[in-house]
Amino acid sequence: MTQYWALSRRGIREVLRTPEALFPTVFIPLFFLVVNVGQAGRIFPPGATAFLKGQNYAAFQLPSAILLAASFGSAALYLVEDIEGGYFDKLRATPVSRTSIVLGRLTAEAAKIVAITTVLVLAAVPFGVSMASGVLGFFLLLLLSASWAVVFSGFVQLIALKSRSAAATQSGSLVFFPLLFLTPNFVSRDLLTRPMEIAATFNPVTYIMEAMRSLILEDLAWATIGRGFAVIAVAGVAMVVLNVRTIRAYD
Amino acid sequence: MASAVEAEQLVKRFKGRSGTVEAVRGVDLQVAEGEVFGFLGPNGAGKSTTVRMLTTLMTITSGSARVAGVDVTAEPDAARRGIGVALQEAGLDPRQTGRELLVLQARLFGSSSAEAVDRAQELLELVDLVDAADRRIKGYSGGMKRRLDLASALVHQPRVLFLDEPTTGLDPASRLTVWEEMRRINAQGTTVFLTTQYLEEADQLCSRLAIIDDGLIVREGTPAELKADLRQRRALSSDPSLDDVFLDATGRTRERIAGQVQEVQ
Repeated sequence: MTQYWALSRRGIREVLRTPEALFPTVFIPLFFLVVNVGQAGRIFPPGATAFLKGQNYAAFQLPSAILLAASFGSAALYLVEDIEGGYFDKLRATPVSRTSIVLGRLTAEAAKIVAITTVLVLAAVPFGVSMASGVLGFFLLLLLSASWAVVFSGFVQLIALKSRSAAATQSGSLVFFPLLFLTPNFVSRDLLTRPMEIAATFNPVTYIMEAMRSLILEDLAWATIGRGFAVIAVAGVAMVVLNVRTIRAYD
Repeated sequence: MASAVEAEQLVKRFKGRSGTVEAVRGVDLQVAEGEVFGFLGPNGAGKSTTVRMLTTLMTITSGSARVAGVDVTAEPDAARRGIGVALQEAGLDPRQTGRELLVLQARLFGSSSAEAVDRAQELLELVDLVDAADRRIKGYSGGMKRRLDLASALVHQPRVLFLDEPTTGLDPASRLTVWEEMRRINAQGTTVFLTTQYLEEADQLCSRLAIIDDGLIVREGTPAELKADLRQRRALSSDPSLDDVFLDATGRTRERIAGQVQEVQ
C-alpha cells in the first residue's frame, strides 16, 4: 500500500507539473456540451420531453461531457515516455507489486477527473442543471467518473505497454472513442433506431452513461447506478489483470 | 568465496517477423562477491540482453541465473532486493526533482518516509548533487543524470550493482567521477557487474573480465591473464593491450595500412 501511494503521489505531481495537458481535457468536453445543447436544446424542451425528467437538455448531455473528459487520460502517454526514457525499467527493477505500477499512475487520472467533473458540474449549474440525487448523488457521480477514467486510461496504458510507441498509443486510444458515441448520447435508449439500440445495449459505456444520467436527472435509482458500477468493476478487473500480465511478461 | 552472480547455460531467443533470433546462446558466468567484473563485447554481442536477464528485466528462455544468492526466475522480487541497476539509458523521470526521485526509489524498496528522506540526502551528498537536489531532472546535464541514476541504484544498499555502459556519452571529467564512485561503492563491499565498450575503463576498474561475442563467452579471466595468454599464443615480445585481447577474442584484427585503420572480419 505504501508503494502504491508513493507511485500515486508521483503521478499526481506529474499531472500538476503539466497543466498545459489539462486544458484540452476541460475545454473539449465543455465545447461539446455547449455545441450539443446549442444544436439540439430547442428540439427537446424540458416540459415536453419525458426523458429529461423536468430538467433541461444540458443536464441530459452533462454525462457525455464527463465521460469524454474521463477518456482524455494522459497516463498512457506518460508511460510511453517512461518506457522510452528507461524509467519504466527502473520501476520494474524494484520489488514493487506490478499492480501498484499499474494503478499508481491511474490514481492520478482519478484525482484529475474528480476535479474536472466538479468543474463541469459547477459550470452547468448556472444553466439550470441540478443534481436531482443530491449531495450523495454528486459523490457517486464523482466516483463513477473517476472509476471510468481509471478503467479507460488503463486500457490505453495496455496499448502503450504492447506498442511502446506514443504514436501507436495515441492512435490506439481512438479505437475506444466510438464506444462513447454508440450510446444513448442524444436521446434515451428507447428512442434510438433499432440498430443503434442494439449497439448501445451491447456497449458497456451505455450503462455508465445511464448511471451518471440517473444521478443528475432523478433521485437515487439504485438499479441503474448499480449496473454502471458493475460494468466498471468487471472492466476494471479485466484491465488490471491484463496490465499486470503484460508487465510480468514484458521483455 | 560465495558467488554474487551465477549463470548456467543462459539462453535468450527473440521471435520476430523474420524468424527466431538467438541473442544469448548459452552463457555461463561466475562472479565472486566483492569483485568488479567487466562484461565486454561488440555491439549486438548479447551484453545488455544478458544483463537484463540477470536483473529480472527480461525473461530467460532457458538456463538459470542466481544473483545475490537468489534465483531470478523463481524469486524475482527477492532478487530485486539484492540488485541495483543502472542501465545504458539513465532511467530517470524528468518531471521529478532529484530528491523526489531518490525518496520514491527508497520507498519502493520498503523504506519508511523518514528513512527514505535521510537516505536520499545521504546519496545526494555521495554523488555531489545536493545543490541540484530540488531542481527538476530535465534540467540536469548528462553527467548529473548519470550520477543521479547511480545514486538511485544504491538506495537499498544492493549486494550486486549492475552498471550497463555507465560512462557512455560522458565527458572525461564525468567519466572519472563515475569511476571514483564505482571504486568507492566496491570498496564498501558491493559487487559491481560492469558492461562497457571502453576497454581502458575495464582495464582500470575490473578485477576479472568476460568477453561475449555472438551470444557466447569467448574469453574469461583477469586482465593480466588475458593479456599473458594472447602474448603466449601470438609469441609477442611485449604484453598486448586489452584492445588487442578484445580484437583477438572477437575475431577481428586491426591492420594499419598507409596510415589508415582498417577492421577486417
